[in-house]
Amino acid sequence: METILLIVSSLLVYMTAATNTDTEGATNTSENPFIYDYETLRIGGLAFAVVLFTLGILLILSRRCRCGINQKPRAPGDEEAQEENRIVSKAAAAAKETPPEN
Amino acid sequence: MGNDRSPKKKKGGTKDMDDLKKEVPITEHKMSVEEVCRKFQTDVVQGLTNAKAAEFLLRDGPNALTPPPTTPEWVKFCRQLFGGFSILLWTGAILCFLAYAIQAATEDEPAGDNLYLGIVLTAVVVITGCFSYFQEAKSSKIMESFKNMVPQQALVIREGEKVQINAEEVVAGDLIEVKGGDRIPADIRVTSAHGCKVDNSSLTGESEPQSRSPDCTHDNPLETRNIAFFSTNCVEGTARGIVICTGDRTVMGRIATLTSGLETGKTPIAVEIEHFIHIITGVAVFLGVTFFILAIILGYTWLEAVIFLIGIIVANVPEGLLATVTVCLTLTAKRMAKKNCLVKNLEAVETLGSTSTICSDKTGTLTQNRMTVAHMWFDNQIHEADTTEDQSGAAFDKSSVTWLSLSRVAALCNRAQFKAGQDSVAILKRDVAGDASESALLKCIELSCGSVRMMRDKNKKVAEIPFNSTNKYQLSIHETEDPNDNRYLLVMKGAPERILDRCSTIMLQGKEQPMDEEMKEAFQNAYMELGGLGERVLGFCHLLLPEDQYPKGFAFDTDDVNFQTDNLCFVGLMSMIDPPRAAVPDAVGKCRSAGIKVIMVTGDHPITAKAIAKGVGIISEGNETVEDIAARLNIPVSQVNPRDAKACVIHGSDLKDLSQDQMDDILRNHTEIVFARTSPQQKLIIVEGCQRLGAIVAVTGDGVNDSPALKKADIGVAMGISGSDVSKQAADMILLDDNFASIVTGVEEGRLIFDNLKKSIAYTLTSNIPEITPFLFFIIVNIPLPLGTITILCIDLGTDMVPAISLAYEAAESDIMKRQPRNPSRDKLVNERLISIAYGQIGMIQALGGFFAYFVILAENGFLPSQLVGIRLNWDDRSLNDLEDSYGQQWTYEQRKIVEFTCHTAFFVSIVVVQWADLIICKTRRNSVFQQGMRNKILIFGLFEETALAAFLSYCPGMDVALRMYPLKPTWWFCAFPYSFLIFVYDEARKLILRRNPGGEHTIDRWSTFAQAPHIFHLFLPPVIPSSAKHISRCPAPLKTKSALKQFSSQLPQRLKTAKAPLQLSTSTCPLSPHLL
Repeated sequence: METILLIVSSLLVYMTAATNTDTEGATNTSENPFIYDYETLRIGGLAFAVVLFTLGILLILSRRCRCGINQKPRAPGDEEAQEENRIVSKAAAAAKETPPEN
Repeated sequence: MGNDRSPKKKKGGTKDMDDLKKEVPITEHKMSVEEVCRKFQTDVVQGLTNAKAAEFLLRDGPNALTPPPTTPEWVKFCRQLFGGFSILLWTGAILCFLAYAIQAATEDEPAGDNLYLGIVLTAVVVITGCFSYFQEAKSSKIMESFKNMVPQQALVIREGEKVQINAEEVVAGDLIEVKGGDRIPADIRVTSAHGCKVDNSSLTGESEPQSRSPDCTHDNPLETRNIAFFSTNCVEGTARGIVICTGDRTVMGRIATLTSGLETGKTPIAVEIEHFIHIITGVAVFLGVTFFILAIILGYTWLEAVIFLIGIIVANVPEGLLATVTVCLTLTAKRMAKKNCLVKNLEAVETLGSTSTICSDKTGTLTQNRMTVAHMWFDNQIHEADTTEDQSGAAFDKSSVTWLSLSRVAALCNRAQFKAGQDSVAILKRDVAGDASESALLKCIELSCGSVRMMRDKNKKVAEIPFNSTNKYQLSIHETEDPNDNRYLLVMKGAPERILDRCSTIMLQGKEQPMDEEMKEAFQNAYMELGGLGERVLGFCHLLLPEDQYPKGFAFDTDDVNFQTDNLCFVGLMSMIDPPRAAVPDAVGKCRSAGIKVIMVTGDHPITAKAIAKGVGIISEGNETVEDIAARLNIPVSQVNPRDAKACVIHGSDLKDLSQDQMDDILRNHTEIVFARTSPQQKLIIVEGCQRLGAIVAVTGDGVNDSPALKKADIGVAMGISGSDVSKQAADMILLDDNFASIVTGVEEGRLIFDNLKKSIAYTLTSNIPEITPFLFFIIVNIPLPLGTITILCIDLGTDMVPAISLAYEAAESDIMKRQPRNPSRDKLVNERLISIAYGQIGMIQALGGFFAYFVILAENGFLPSQLVGIRLNWDDRSLNDLEDSYGQQWTYEQRKIVEFTCHTAFFVSIVVVQWADLIICKTRRNSVFQQGMRNKILIFGLFEETALAAFLSYCPGMDVALRMYPLKPTWWFCAFPYSFLIFVYDEARKLILRRNPGGEHTIDRWSTFAQAPHIFHLFLPPVIPSSAKHISRCPAPLKTKSALKQFSSQLPQRLKTAKAPLQLSTSTCPLSPHLL
């Protein structure tokens, strides 16, 4: 499961990188080499962040189902799954704290 | 007693406490009733007059315990706000404000960074303080719910009339009547009693109800029969008595006062955090002063240098760590609460993990606090009954005819009965009206033979002689089950020797046989054996009365016995004990293998205590006490070398005479100790003794008598269901399900959180170096500032938070329950080694990674590294708008600043990238990641989240205005990758060397020491001298580590005074391409 996720994420990294280089190449050849397409970069970067974040959330949620299906004998698994949910909220709380402080 | 103790005053506090620690000074039990009456100006028939009662009430105050002084909410809040770690952050904040004030006073347009940093630090402390305050408020709310709110009533006789009054209004001298089921409203001197029994277990720890009578039976007021104590329960019978003490002057009140007056020391984790603060402060001050001197030498002005000094010191403060530690502890507290361990004080979460000695009460903690039939002797054989709570134990052979007779006798000659309306309740849980041992018999028979009531209905009772202390037996006569059989059945139970005296035959395999000497000896052996197990033994016999002498309708006279009470047929013995709880032996075993010494401290008798201690493994099999050895070798006790005996049982009265040295000697030299017949004060002394020897002591208990010890202990564990209010108040932790085994969970969680906190701290501290070095280089080599305050805060309070917390979910590396408890003086939460690895090694590589990204970006923009050195003054000069780079491009101030902030962003992203590797290496302290695996999903989530946050901060539109962070070209993300990889390889190699050189583990890493069972460890490497071991494998040579640490380490945000004004916000969308002029 996590390996798949990791592969997907690294692919995404690669793709974002690729798209960005593409746009870079395109603009660079036709225009001033000192002008960089920051709009595309921003959108790509943000998309990357969103994807990564969603992946993280999915990863946490997936834990539960995984335990339900093929980790029956591991009783503590369930416990941990619940604990994780708590930490998500904790993390959210922590995240909430951060912005005003920045 | 009240008159010899001045009312509580703060001044006399210490003297008061010493007084309280002494034994109870009650003397009334030795006086006659008349003397007592005279003393209290009362009358044994009429009671007090109302006027006198009112006068006494005014003089002595109400009959209630003064509640322990509650700390006001704001004090609790302030404690959260200024305790432990917070001090560090507060100091940082104050220094920031100070620096800002200096800047504001000396400069026209001071940079706001110090002000912001100060505000952020304050905000972090306040928010975390609120968080932990509410966390603790939650558990104290649960505590509130325990309080018994029902007001107590008492039946007093005043002016000859019985009146029901509030127990609070009872005064000394009142004549009081109590009956079975009542709680005794004050300490009373019994003047008359009818079959009165009181349950003193919460005061003395005796599990059996004690009978009360007007005669003085013992010098010790706690042992004598004619005093009944405040807040103990009257189990059965009735009694009348004169109140001798009320409120805080009662025995119970003295204990409660003693408890609330005890000072408790710091929790181990608080000590660790203090130590950590010392280390951090040391490093910060060292760096600050060094660079202060350097700055002076380099020609900065005094004020500038002071600002640097403060900046560097503040930069060393790990802003996010307070929140991380609090959240980690909270998570563990919640996890424990789910396993029925309620932690009252957040810091106590870890304490059980450091515990090296557990002093456990017996009654109600190790045992079930209810008498149960444990053994039976019939057919010349001892049978074992099932004493487990859930009846999962083995059953004995019930087919014998003797057993049928025995059960019939036990059921019929028994006055206990189940209270009505409990048919759906499990038999063992049902409430019984009657004596403890009779209820035990009742439950035993009900379990094994079915309904006792049916049996009693079939065998109608004709006559009965109840138990009394002179004849020591109980007898009843019943009709037989068979309606055609007109004979009567006489059944009798009582003290075995008395029963045996009355028997001429004995039942064996259902047949009556004459009682010969051989059988008598067999009886004696069985009696001795059961008695030696600490059990209370009862004998049973019966006789079918011959029909010719006692025909149907015979009038049995129980007062003037007109029937045969000897030449009976002996049936068997049954013995009862308050059995240990099912989970206890296992839990004790686990504690022991975890290197924790378990001591039993009980108010009960030595024989019972020893039997239970053996039953639960506190005295393990094969270990003998001095007395055992003496008995085995048949020599006097004095000839036995006490060193030969690992176990020992110490009586409270002996304890009284022991000097401190003797006490230490006992605690040190015996591994298995049982203290019996101890008073609450002695329990306290025992705990203090253990603490004096450097142990971290946990005390478990449920009674009032345990509460001083609970309070004094490093961690007091009270029972949630059976525990008394006083004990719960005094404890730090409450086992909601009364299950001793939960302590093992507590130990495990405590040790795990200690390990994981270490990892969290290592992780958080590491990023301090890449955060501080930019500022140092800014000062020393005058380059444009590579990393700003805002970005540092983004790391400390943003990206680093979730990963650091996720380490709290790490699984243990080795079996934490197999290692010895940590040594508080040696195994520190944060030691120099951890700092040297975090700061000196990993942190340095991280800083390299950040600087690499910084130089790459500047070089891409035209500023080659060689050009940068010494450029600072020009770079930060607002009026200089044509600064040339290495290629001759001219940069305006705004353009330069945009490049600089892009560098900040890149440095920030690089730190995130190297922190990936840091997180993975911090996961383990000894094992390779490949051994440990990546099963911690929260940790992976943390990796994703920190990267996502970094990307978001860099790319989100508007960030250039809000936080001055700029979008990075994708390639710049990869600058730090090699360094990330290097960190991983470097640390894996370090751990590999560590594992390969177990000899050095001792000093290098305590994990490995504990990874193996202690004795194996000793087998393999007996005398590893720490100093020599140190050289074996501190993998990178110690020298290197040290010099690295000296050279760097510290961090520092803080915009220099040189950035004269708040930066103009640029709206340019292409920050990195200066227009060629």
